[in-house]
Amino acid sequence: MPEFTLPRRTVLGMLAAPALLTRRAAAAETCVVGTWGGDYARLLRENIDDPILKPADVNVIQDVGDETPRYTKLVAQKMLPRGTTDIACLGAVNGFRATEAGLVEPLDETKVPNLKHVLPNLRATGFVPHIYSAQVIVYNPAAVSDPPKSFADLLDPKWKGKVGMVSTVAPWVLMGASLVESGTTTDFDKAKAFMLKLNANGLRLYPETDSLAPAFKSGEIDVGVIWLARSFMWHNAGFPVKGQFPSEGAILYVSGMVVPKNAPNKAAAFKYMNALLEPSAQQGFAAHMGYLPTIDDAPLSGSVGEQLAFPEPKPKLVTPDYAVISKSMADLNDWWIKNIQHT
Amino acid sequence: MVLTLVVPLGFMLRDSLNRFDPSEMMIAAVTPENYLRFFVDPFYRDVLYTTIRVSVIVTASCLLCGLPMAWRLARATGRWKPVLVVLTVLPLFIGSTTRTAGWMILFSRGGMLDIVSRGLFNTAPINLMYTEPAVILGIIAINLPFTVLTLQSVFEGIDPRLEEAAASMGAPPSRAFWRIVFPLALPGVLIAAVLCFILCMNAFATPVLLGGPKFQMMAPLLYWAFSGDNNWPFAAALAFILMATTLGLTGLANVAIPRRYRGN
Repeated sequence: MPEFTLPRRTVLGMLAAPALLTRRAAAAETCVVGTWGGDYARLLRENIDDPILKPADVNVIQDVGDETPRYTKLVAQKMLPRGTTDIACLGAVNGFRATEAGLVEPLDETKVPNLKHVLPNLRATGFVPHIYSAQVIVYNPAAVSDPPKSFADLLDPKWKGKVGMVSTVAPWVLMGASLVESGTTTDFDKAKAFMLKLNANGLRLYPETDSLAPAFKSGEIDVGVIWLARSFMWHNAGFPVKGQFPSEGAILYVSGMVVPKNAPNKAAAFKYMNALLEPSAQQGFAAHMGYLPTIDDAPLSGSVGEQLAFPEPKPKLVTPDYAVISKSMADLNDWWIKNIQHT
Repeated sequence: MVLTLVVPLGFMLRDSLNRFDPSEMMIAAVTPENYLRFFVDPFYRDVLYTTIRVSVIVTASCLLCGLPMAWRLARATGRWKPVLVVLTVLPLFIGSTTRTAGWMILFSRGGMLDIVSRGLFNTAPINLMYTEPAVILGIIAINLPFTVLTLQSVFEGIDPRLEEAAASMGAPPSRAFWRIVFPLALPGVLIAAVLCFILCMNAFATPVLLGGPKFQMMAPLLYWAFSGDNNWPFAAALAFILMATTLGLTGLANVAIPRRYRGN
């Protein structure tokens, strides 16, 4: 039977290991990020968590889920002294709501130095814009030689039954319709009248964004209304659709993050916010998802820069009136489901 | 049971009486407005009628197809019986969403049905996607194995010597089935129908994926109120209305069957 020996150095090492590990664990900060899953979560890991925060000794834990439960959690936990997330990813509308309801930490350049680079039209008090895109008219160039230049053109009988949209973006489509009918994003009476005419012209609705691509490919539709970023992704996936900015203006979709007032580790959250506004992180999202950088120091180059460059003359980009849309959204969705979906 | 069912239902009932606010989500109140909104608005009533109509059609179709299949399965002998049972159970190994994706490939324009139809018969493009028949077919495909397996166990509990006795007195198999086997199986048939009906009333993935945005059923509507609008009070009210309707219609079906055929 072999003799069992325990060298002195091994024993000392084993005794010291827990202390060293504890010290390491104590030094690392933890940041819990409530985020969407899929590509978005992966790109956060690849462009922010691993290259920027890991070297800074911030351990990021992703809490993956849909936006609505995340917003609900913010509301439900508002009375708690310590919440469960340090960062919540939200669309700009919910970001505005959360700020108005006093759920989020006000942010400035002392906490997040990179905020000074945020584009002026995207700035908000407690909401840090991460990515944005514009609502454009997308068309299949193989089937359409003279694409619609405006929402108004979609009413032309030549597009009867050939225009498709995703039902989940109803408020943005209604803002686009309001823009063409009134020049503002909030004249919903005119927007509704416009949508009823478009629906009568054979508007096709799809349950989710990805179901539009097969409809384009099969020839079921030739024209759609969707985010520019999605046309970028389809283009790179081998389906060469083209985007046309509506002449009356393109409504912006902005997605970003907030720090809850009761975030357990605000210092780590501020570091995370600063990291997401780093040029390399912004360029990574643009290269893979086609969303535009929200800062002024992240130029896009190569084929990404060419694909995402604004045409000349530069199109009119319209930021929604969040105060109005956040209050109207439920009513607009209700009207949409009854009058556009249920026909 | 109390902790996992009654208490959450109690919370949900309380939520259904609250008032909705877009920022605050819920404002504490005791108001019937969420229930009134449903019953006053013809749109919501229409969605409920559609859900009931689809559920009745699916249940009837599953019984119609499932009865002969289950009877044959119950009376099958030898080495083919396990094979038939496995074939019946096999679809349950695939998730309902995955199966629905298969239907989408079949039904959509440019899909298999469209290609075959246009290639062989030179027809106009066929697009069954986002239609009520597509939803009905999709739910039947999901519910049929449950119906068949439930009915099979019912038929296996009926002594085959009863059919032999009927045959010995000159009754053809169909007459023996309808006069002897079916009345004895009726309580089990009711259970299979109720199971199928409840599954259909609560169907979510199939109506969303095959019905599309223009086809509305209760479960997707409930999810839309909860997840899309964050309107928990109305979503809770919808959940109670759906549950009450399902329980009510199930109870009605039980009453509709003559007492002598009901199980004890």
